[in-house]
Amino acid sequence: MLYVELLAQGLVQGSIYALVAVGLTLVYGLLRILHVAHAGLFTLGGYIGVLVTNATGSLFLALIVSMMVVGVLGMAIYRLCYQPILDKPPYVALIASIGLFIAMEEIYRIVFGPYGISYQNPPLQSSVEILGLSLRMGEVAVGGGTLVLIGALALFSTKTRFGTVWRATVTDPDMAESFGVDIIKVRYLNFFIGSALAAVAGVMVALLNNLVEPTMGSVPSYKALAIIVLGGLGDVRGTLLAALALGVIEAFGTIYLGNYLDRDAIAFAFLILVLMVRPQGLFGRA
Amino acid sequence: MMLQLKNANCGYGAFQAVHDLSLTMEQGKIFALLGPNGAGKSSTIMSIAGHVQLFSGSIIFDGDDISHLPARERVKRGIAVAPEGRRLFPDLTIEENLTVGGYCQSSEKEARNRDMVFALFPRLTERLKQPAGTLSGGEQQMLAIGRAMMTEPRFLMIDEVSLGLMPKMVDVCYNAIEHLKSQGVTILLVEQNTRRALEVADQVCVLESGNAVWQGAAEDARKDPALIEAFLGMAKDSAA
Ligand SMILES: Nc1ncnc2c1ncn2[C@@H]1O[C@H](COP(=O)(O)OP(=O)(O)OP(=O)(O)O)[C@@H](O)[C@H]1O
Ligand SMILES: [Mg+2]
Repeated sequence: MLYVELLAQGLVQGSIYALVAVGLTLVYGLLRILHVAHAGLFTLGGYIGVLVTNATGSLFLALIVSMMVVGVLGMAIYRLCYQPILDKPPYVALIASIGLFIAMEEIYRIVFGPYGISYQNPPLQSSVEILGLSLRMGEVAVGGGTLVLIGALALFSTKTRFGTVWRATVTDPDMAESFGVDIIKVRYLNFFIGSALAAVAGVMVALLNNLVEPTMGSVPSYKALAIIVLGGLGDVRGTLLAALALGVIEAFGTIYLGNYLDRDAIAFAFLILVLMVRPQGLFGRA
Repeated sequence: MMLQLKNANCGYGAFQAVHDLSLTMEQGKIFALLGPNGAGKSSTIMSIAGHVQLFSGSIIFDGDDISHLPARERVKRGIAVAPEGRRLFPDLTIEENLTVGGYCQSSEKEARNRDMVFALFPRLTERLKQPAGTLSGGEQQMLAIGRAMMTEPRFLMIDEVSLGLMPKMVDVCYNAIEHLKSQGVTILLVEQNTRRALEVADQVCVLESGNAVWQGAAEDARKDPALIEAFLGMAKDSAA
């Protein structure tokens, strides 16, 4: 039973990593930029989620508002922060992104206060029994929500014409442009979807911890970087699998290695081990 | 006249790959661009497609100066490319690669063009759901040409037509090229296999280190191979 429980916990944590990391890998695929500030959007998603829920009492509405606002802000970051420096070497964008991330954390501290905010009436706190496991509704919502969103993304990107073109553009923007694709449009869409998914992750983490604080994005920011490397940079399917794998490894690792290494150390030990054997990532092509 | 380069200088940042190149390609004809490795053939093609920077000079297509148009506008005017190394979308299936190729077309035209591609390359219909990255070299070249055909080009550029292909595949590709020519498409070929290119070409240009060292009718080059063999090492080619 312990194994199943650990597996379930790992998958829930992995779902959250997945929602954050997908946006990151999409941006990397398209622009070859490590979009560190992405984790700042994740945090903002959490704030908006809590604020709107507290104001209206509707978690669902909060989720939608959070996705929209953060999605649009993601597009604005592309337009204002990255587009002007795309012709510079990649480290320029990386530094800009790190700077933006730090600035975002400070802004949250100033605007929302240093101690974080919580739900007044935390939603989805009751427990349910599923297959003999006792899970919080929040955890079920995280897993189920991720499944629905990623499923929708998969359908959009494989079954629609624009989705197909989007995937093509992520693997080879120049060639896609050769077939008439307006790659700027694709970039906006890309930032919108990636950021909106990160916002969902933020709302969900806020739900599980009942806390949103200014630095909530720090750990996910570097962990998501590890995940997209594991998944083979720019590879969405690989990133999803790597996120789930990392969640599960962490869950088991903290039980069996918890006395020696903390959760994050386990994650990075795993990353280093994998990269020693497969430098192209878990699922990348050689 | 379909396409004209006027004193084109192009390259990458500070590096100039093509010097003062002037070419005229006539409607419905096949133009072969030959030359040793690093001569600037691919750079010329990609500059016409809008991917390699044109430092100075101009590209005239169908009477309009397109030198400053972005790549995606050029394809809408009828310029398509099957580039060096094929550059298929490796994770996308055959079907999906063609979908991207036909992105700018209406759905009726898309369906019609798809049928045309399948008529020329029936082999592709057998593996519609296979990711392009797992296709054989020959299948990849068919798909690269097919994907370019999906744009309904009036001017088609194919880089390295026969590189790495077995003779049967080379025939398939050249049959397609001749078919397109018969439909009135103007074609620019880059080819390592000089003899094969000369068989189909109407016009030839030989590049060396970014400079045009010989230009003329393919007819003349066919009659007197010595004309261009000095530049190309055709002796080695015909021994192979
Ligand atoms: N992306 C690039 N950046 C800088 N220089 C480049 C780039 N691509 C090509 N070059 C240089 O431009 C010159 C012409 O290259 P190009 O690829 O056009 O030659 P080519 O005639 O197609 O050769 P090949 O037969 O080997 O394909 C070469 O010196 C090459 O090193
Ligand atoms: Mg070349």
